[in-house]
This record gives sequence, structure tokens and C-alpha cells, in this order.
Amino acid sequence: MEAAIARNLGSLGAFLPEIVLSAGVLALFLLDLVFRGEGRRGRLTWAFGIVLALAAAALAVTPSSPRGLFNGMVVQDGLGTFFKWLFLATAAYTAGIVVHSKEISRARLGEFYALLLAVLLGMDLMAVSGDLLMVYLSLELVSLVSYALAGFRKDDVRSAEASLKYVIYGGVASGIMLFGISYMYGLFGTTDLALLGPKIKAFSGEVFVAQTLGGATAAQLALVVAVMFVLAGVGYKMASVPWHMWCPDVYEGAPTPFTAFLSVGPKAAGFAVALRFFGVGFTEAAGGGLVNTATVPWPAIVGILAAITMTLGNITALGQTNLKRLLAYSSIAHAGYLLMGLAAASILGFQSVLVYLAVYLFMNLGAFLVVAIMAARTGGEDISAYRGLVRRAPFTAIAFTVFLFSLTGLPPLAGFTGKYLLFAALLQQGGSWYVALAIVGAINSAISLYYYLRIVKAMVLEPPAGAGGPIEVPRTYGALLAGSMAALLFFGLFWSPLYGASLRATQALFRG
Amino acid sequence: MILPSAYLVVGALLFGLGLCGVLVRRNALTAFMSVELMLNAANLTFLAFARHPLRGAPSLDGSAIAFFVIAVAAAEASVGLAVVIAVFRSRGTVEIDALRSLRH
Amino acid sequence: MPHLLTYAIFAPLAGSAAIVLLVLLRPLLRLPKEQVDSASRLFALVSSGLSFALTLLLWAQFDGARTGPQFVDHAVWIRGFNIEYFVGADGISIAMIILSGLISFIATIASMPWWVHDDPQHPHFSKRMVPGYLALLLLLQGAMLGVFCALDFFLFYVFWELMLLPMYFLIGIWGGPRKEYAAIKFFLYTLAGSVLMLLAVIGLYYGSRSIPGVPLALADGTPVQHTFNMLALAQLGQRGLFQTLTSLFGYRFDRVVWLALFIGFAIKIPMFPFHTWLPDAHVEAPTPISVILAGVLLKMGGYGILRVNFGILPEATRFFADMIAVFGTINIVYGAFVCLAQKDLKKLIAYSSVSHMGFVLLGMAAFTPQALSGAMLQMWTHGIVSAMLFLIVGVLYDRAHHREIEGFGGLAARVPEYTALMGLAFFASMGLPGLCGFVSEFMVFYGTFAVYQTLVIVSASAVIITASYYLWTIQRMFLGKLNEKYRDLADVNWRERLTLYPLGALSIFFGFYPQAVLDLVNGSLQQMSHVLRGAF
Repeated sequence: MEAAIARNLGSLGAFLPEIVLSAGVLALFLLDLVFRGEGRRGRLTWAFGIVLALAAAALAVTPSSPRGLFNGMVVQDGLGTFFKWLFLATAAYTAGIVVHSKEISRARLGEFYALLLAVLLGMDLMAVSGDLLMVYLSLELVSLVSYALAGFRKDDVRSAEASLKYVIYGGVASGIMLFGISYMYGLFGTTDLALLGPKIKAFSGEVFVAQTLGGATAAQLALVVAVMFVLAGVGYKMASVPWHMWCPDVYEGAPTPFTAFLSVGPKAAGFAVALRFFGVGFTEAAGGGLVNTATVPWPAIVGILAAITMTLGNITALGQTNLKRLLAYSSIAHAGYLLMGLAAASILGFQSVLVYLAVYLFMNLGAFLVVAIMAARTGGEDISAYRGLVRRAPFTAIAFTVFLFSLTGLPPLAGFTGKYLLFAALLQQGGSWYVALAIVGAINSAISLYYYLRIVKAMVLEPPAGAGGPIEVPRTYGALLAGSMAALLFFGLFWSPLYGASLRATQALFRG
Repeated sequence: MILPSAYLVVGALLFGLGLCGVLVRRNALTAFMSVELMLNAANLTFLAFARHPLRGAPSLDGSAIAFFVIAVAAAEASVGLAVVIAVFRSRGTVEIDALRSLRH
Repeated sequence: MPHLLTYAIFAPLAGSAAIVLLVLLRPLLRLPKEQVDSASRLFALVSSGLSFALTLLLWAQFDGARTGPQFVDHAVWIRGFNIEYFVGADGISIAMIILSGLISFIATIASMPWWVHDDPQHPHFSKRMVPGYLALLLLLQGAMLGVFCALDFFLFYVFWELMLLPMYFLIGIWGGPRKEYAAIKFFLYTLAGSVLMLLAVIGLYYGSRSIPGVPLALADGTPVQHTFNMLALAQLGQRGLFQTLTSLFGYRFDRVVWLALFIGFAIKIPMFPFHTWLPDAHVEAPTPISVILAGVLLKMGGYGILRVNFGILPEATRFFADMIAVFGTINIVYGAFVCLAQKDLKKLIAYSSVSHMGFVLLGMAAFTPQALSGAMLQMWTHGIVSAMLFLIVGVLYDRAHHREIEGFGGLAARVPEYTALMGLAFFASMGLPGLCGFVSEFMVFYGTFAVYQTLVIVSASAVIITASYYLWTIQRMFLGKLNEKYRDLADVNWRERLTLYPLGALSIFFGFYPQAVLDLVNGSLQQMSHVLRGAF
């Protein structure tokens, strides 16, 4: 007992970023009451930025050598650190979008920032959860605060409605996940992922368990169902089929800056959990590669989900005219692409997920930034509002074009880097099944081009609709757009740094 | 009674009831109650496994988890109900099917 | 001169960047729009001309007797994946590199709006959004050269895809009435082919490994497990490595990969039944873009098949050879018949491209040195002649604003110079002896006859149809009674002379002296023919 408490106290030092964020949440709620008057918007944003900077500094000084914290509830390793940087960048980008957003009123800006920090904290915890209980708790932290943020504009019917749908689907998904966790706990007697690994490996050989559950098949089935149930909670965060139904409604109804955040942050957090869950629990490193230690065919399950998810996302996106909905379906499709990397069940596969998420951050947040600009300046979220944009706001239109082509996965943009690595991960595994999945992915890329091009066509090839004067774009937005484009071009041509970082993060997962 | 199977069966039934409830009943409040049912089904399973583990001695882990779940369920209900109230204020109904301002 | 190829590729890209920079700086420097436009034109002419001059220098310095790559630039690009910046020219690519430089420069000249008859109702396309147009044009030129120079498969793919974006916008923004449809169709077709190609590229990468005699290493000598190096892949393929890999879907690995690559390239050629994007793209594209499309872009398909399918997977190529020959013949015959039915002059020439690229396929399928050289020469001559044809159509369209063959008549009396040029281009295209089309078609037939007798006879009869649609077109447009509407039609102006006369001269020159090109390519193609016909 004493030792456990000592371990907990000793863990606090390595928990600095989370502590900073927790303090930041409280601080922003207080500052919300303090800052009044003209400079409120700027000051609150500065405060938010300072909290992020402090968290970044804390993250930079915290070691990332693999070890367990808080008696195994939290894991400190390179994978967690990679995701924490990703989340910080997402939050910072979102703040950049919020600065000039009319959807988040000045009066409630402090609240928004405080809640955003709470989500950030939850995502950080998801990325480092070493225990299924911790996974559940951090996932709920993200969900609960997200419900509030999705319905942030209480007076807006669409926002409230989006929030309600989000709550109900989220409640169901987390309920299913919890039920799955309860069976994992029952089958193995623990929820600690590090301890689960060896037990899952030994599971098929355990005669006793098989007999008590009524036969080896039944025991296997119980494990498969438990895994599928756990996947529900994670899949809900990723917006993968069949837990994607909330996605279009929530994306459309939620305030645009939060939609942007939602499309990247929680999705990445879902993948963080999935990588750790399958990486630690179900695989082990052997001979430079990974081996599925369980008798559960989880790569096949994930692969089929990937194929269905991207196909459904892309096909449905074809018919959308509302930009936020279109991007919602596109984000479902991207969840499908990302699942391919997970399905590859290899070091490279895990790496490709990390690289893709990092790249996805720039292109998807960039795309939503443009949507936010347009919603604020023209009030239109429909494709027709984008007609002739290249004459009204050339820079924004070119930036959006770059983002869309990157989402399609065309070189020399970074989206291609991500797609290339995903395909490479599948083909490295070889075998008809993986090649078939890669072909489905490739065909989907071609399909996605069609609806992305529809937007490009409206912006660049068509004349402006009605009286379309020039659109003023604030300087902050211009800088964000330019920065995103530069990042996409850089990581499209020189992705060695990103590749190296993802390699270190992935290897950390299998060293312990 | 050695096997926890009776508890498990009840847990599974509760879970199924909850899931069906969400899928079938279109009132937001009923949906919430159904979700609570699912969470409690999971709790029951945790407790059953804690008391009657498949191997080894009974442990308190499952019971501890149940407490966490109860707390989370309370938080979820409070946020959820707040959202329901917001919707009711703006729409005057909490029937999910009536909420059609977002395109399908 | 070291790094010659790199300079040639990056000269247009640098020009493109300079134009973009100029546009970005415009508000700072307070430049009027006209000055930015003329400066962009200057940048475009200089960088494109420089690139062309460098390719000419290549021609002068190239040693046709050697089979290996020359003018090599080789450096590690992305170490984690053994990706390199590796460019070089050998017999398979040198002709295409020079062609690409030439046609690019011609297209740049043709993009200048000088001496255009100003017509307020139909403003010339090259006066709209000039810097954007030229920046994209230069980007396209750099990417095309890159495709032909790249010897690293990843680099090849990046250049291959890079070319899509500018092409989409060049057709989509500056094109004709149905430009949006044509642009998206072009993009979708090519992308669908190239994503399959990407999978094949990665598949070959993971299939490659060091075998005795072929050690794999990066430019700096680091030994590696897998490689994107196309020359190393070709050596592995010729030693039969890819035939032994685990089969896919119950078919042999190398055949599945071959097919994926072939479809990607066949769409570009374009091979029947993947050709339907071509007429739309050609009809809607502005003249210089049509020139590039017909003159260079289509050749990428043929070049890719030679370099990748034939070079890396010779065994699978032998398996599929009959199929290529049959599709080649279908292209020739089908294209010729469709031409007969065309009313739009540009569409007619587009379909004649389909027909002529069929000769390339047919010639390649025979594997004999004469047929391979014929196919290569056919790509070269078609590049020159089709570019000239599209320029000629452009001349007429600039003045009359339509391209209906039936809408003209008796033009010969009104515009004799134009008529002569068009006659020259038509005769070169139909393969009249003394003009360049004849030599290449003859070589294809001659080299292929021993292998595919029936197909050659069928194709040769299609030449009669080719002759008839061209002659019929000449008759309808230039002979007979002058259409009164065109009483004041102006003859070719200086800009047009600048583009048409060099191409016309070249089509006569290569009719008499095809050896100039054949000397460049023969060494490599003979070796390839040797490999393909089974080096055992």
C-alpha cells in the first residue's frame, strides 16, 4: 500500500503536461470572470495560448522513456508523446480559427477555451491510458465535454440538435464499450493492458477457462465479442462504420471551429487508444515485425471495417452539397483509410497511422478553416456559396484547393505521403487479402477525387454567384492557411523527419 | 453457487434491453434511461466477475470499477439532461424523430 | 556540363516559381497588371527556351552506342524508404526528353497572344489570368520532363501525378465550352489508372531484394533491402525474380503487377477502350495545351510501357504480347473509322491520334529491333506532326471561332500559305513517303510483319482509311467554292509561322533522315529486344 502510494506520488513528475492542462482549465474559468470589456477576446486567447505553451514546455521537459505511471493506469512512452504534440497542435490551430469566429460569442469565449482544454486533457489521457478503465474514463471525459461544445450555441436549433444526437450515440457507444471491458475483465481478471497481453496470448491454451465457459469455441467467441464491443467506443471516436451515424449531423450542427477540432483531435485519440489496445494487448514484436498473438482475427475485422468505412464515406459524400456534411463524410472515409494502417498490423502500419494523422491535421483543419471563413463572410455552407471564390479571395481558394488535393492524396502534397505509407504497409504484408484491401483503398481515392474536385470546380472554374465582391480574410487566418500549405508541401517532399518520429513512437510501443 | 453465469445472464439481458430501448424508443429521455440500463448491465457483470472470477481469488478491482462507472454515469446524465433541456427549449419536443433540421 | 537533366527539369519549375513570386509581390511593388503579364510571358519564354536549349545540348552530347544511363544525377532523397533523386537519360528516354523540350517550347510560343486578331466577342484565352496560365504551363513542362528523366520509380510516380494538377486547371479554366466536363474526365481517368500503378510500384518495391549479381544499394553505397531504382528493378526482372514471388488472387505476381501498370499507361496512350477522355480533353483544351497533350502526354503511356512493363517485367510482357498487338490494331482501325465520322476538325485529329498511337502499341508488341525502333520513331513523329496539326486547327479557330469541317470551303484560294502547311501536316500524318510519318509506320509494319502477319495486313489497310479521311477533309475545307463568310480570312501570322515552320521542316527532315533519332535509341532498344525475345 505504502509502495503504491509512493509510486503514485513519484508519477506526478512525469504527469506535468496533464497537470498544467488541469490547472489551465480552472484558470480559464476564473479568467473568464476577470477579463471584461474590449480586449476580452484577445486576452482570453492569449491566456489559452499561454496554457498551451506551458503544456508544450512541460511536454518538452517530460521524459518519454517507456514506463508505467500510477501503478500502470497511465503509460509514459513515445507514442503518447507523439499524440500529445499532435493534440496540442490541433488545439492551437483551433484557437487560431476561434479568434475571428462569429459563432463563438465574446461573452462565452472563456467557457469555450476552458472546455476545449478539458477535451485536450481527456485526449492526452486517452493517448497514455495503460488500463481499460483509464481508457473508459478518459474517453468519457472527451465525450462529455464534447457534447457541451457541440451544443455550444444553445439558442441555435441545429447546434442543440447535434448535441443531443451526439449524446445519445455517444452514450450507447460507451455503454457497449464498457460492457466489452467488463468481459475482458472477466476473462482475464485484469484491465491492465500490459498484463492483458500475455494473458490473451495464453488464453487459447487455457483448458480451464474454456471448460467453465462451455467449450473452447464459446471462450473464443466471448473474446471476439468483447474486442468488438471495445472497438465500439473507439470506433465512435474515430467515426468509423458502424459507429459513424452521429458524424454528419454533429459536424453540421456544431460550431465550425469545434467541428474542425472534432474532425482531427478525438479521431486521432481514438486511433491512439486502438494502436495501444491492439499493439500491447494483441501483438508482440518478433523478428523485426509484429505477430498477432491472439486467436482473434482482429486485423481481418479491422480491415473489413476499413473497407466498408471508406467506401460508405466516399459514396455518401458524392451526393452532399453542404460543405460541413461533405467534409463529415470525407472524414469518415479518412477514418477508413487510417484503419487500413491498423489492419496491416505491422510496425509500418502503425507508423503510417501516425504519419497520416499528423498530415491529416494540417489538411483537414485547413479545410475547416476555409469553411469557417466562408460561413462567417458569406453565411453560406453550401457548395454554391463557393462559386468563383478564386476571384473573390484568391489566396483562400488556392489554399482550399491545396487542402482538397492533399486530402485526395496527390503528390507532392503531404496527403500523398500518408496514403503512400498506408498502401506500403498493406503491400509489405503481401498476400491477396492485403492487396485486395489496398485496391479498395486505391479505388476509393479515385472516387474521393470526384467530390473534392466538385468543390475545386465551383471555386476555380465557375463564375461567382450573384454579387460576389472580394472577401476580406483576417491576417491570422491568412497566416494559418499559408502555414498549413507550407507544411503540406514540406511533408509531401521531405517526410523523413515525420517518418523518423513515427518510427520512434511506434518502436516505443513494443520495447517494454 | 460457484459460477457467475446467472449474474452474467441477467447482465446480458439488461444490456440487450438497454440497447433495444435506444434503438426502438425515439424519446430522448427514454433513450437516456436505456443507456443507463446498459451501463448498469456492465456494472453487474463487473461485480459478478469480481466476486466469482474465472480463476484465482476474488478481487476488489471490479467493484472499484463499478464505482467509477456510477460516477461517470451521473456526469453523463447531467450533461445529457442539460442538452435535452436545451433542445426542448428551442424545439418544444424531445422526440428524436422530430429533430430534422439537420439533413439526412 | 554536370546536372544537365536536373537543370532542364527545374528550369521550367523555377520559371513557374518566379511567376508565382511575382504575383505575390505585386501588391508590394504596385505593378500594373499589364506589366505582370508581360513579365510572366518573358519568364515563361526564357525558362522554357532554356529547358529546350538544354535538351538540345543533351542531343549533342548523348552517346547512342552506350546502353546505360547518361547525364546521371543520383542522391538519396528519403532514406527511410530508400527513395532517391535519380535522373538519367538512356536510349529509351532521350528521344522523349528532346521531344518534350521541343514541344514545350513550341507550346510556350503558341501561348503568347501576339498578333492575335482581337475580337471583343471572343477574347483570346491567353489574355485571361496570364500569370496563372503560364505558371501552370511551366509546372506541366517540368513535370513532363521529370517523368522521362526519372530513374527512381517513386520519383517517376511523383512527376507522373504532378502533371495532373496543372493539366486539370489548364483545360478547366482556359478551355472551351465543355471544359469542366473534359477536365474532370481527364483527371478521373488518369487518377484511376495511376492509383493502381502506385500499388504496383509499391508491390515491385517489396518484391525486390538483393540477388547474386544484382546488389541493391543507395547512391551513397549503403546496401538496402528493397529498391525503387528502375535500372536495378529491370535487372532483377530480367533475371526472373518477380516471376517467383507469391501469386496474387491465384495469378502470377508479375502478371498481376504488369496488368496494373499497363492499365495505368494504357489510359494515357490512350488505348481502346480507355480512350474516351482524349477527344473531350482535346476538343476543350486551348491550342497550346492540345499541342502538349498530343505531342508529349500521350507518349508518356508508350514510354512507361517500354520502360516499366517491358524493362522490368519481360516475362509477363511476353505473356501479354498478343493482347497488346490486338489492342494496338483495334486502336489503329477503330481510330481511323471514327475519324471518318467526325464533323469537328479538332475531334478528327484527336481520333487520328488514337489511331496513330495504335502503331506504337503494335510495334512494341512485336519485340523485333525494327518494330521497337519503329514504335519509338512513331512516338517521335507523332509528337511533331500532331503538335503541328493542333496548331493548325488553332489558327483557324482563332479566326473563325468554330471548327466545323463543313462550315468552311474553298479556303485554298483565300489562305494559300495556311493550306500548304495544313496539307504538309496532313500528308505527314497519313504517312506519305518523304515525310516522317511514312518511315515510322513502315518500320513498324516491317518489324511486325513476321510476328503478326494478319494484324499488320489489317492495320495496313486502315492506312487507306486514314488517307481517305484526310483527303476528304482537305476537299471539304479547301477545295470547291469559297464560303462567302470567310472572304476576309487572314493567313497565318508571324507567331504562327514561328511555331508551324519549324515543325513542318522537322517533319520533312525526319522523313529523309530518321537516322538522327534512330541513332539515339537503337542501342538501348536492340538490347531490350534481345531481352524480350528471350535471352536464352
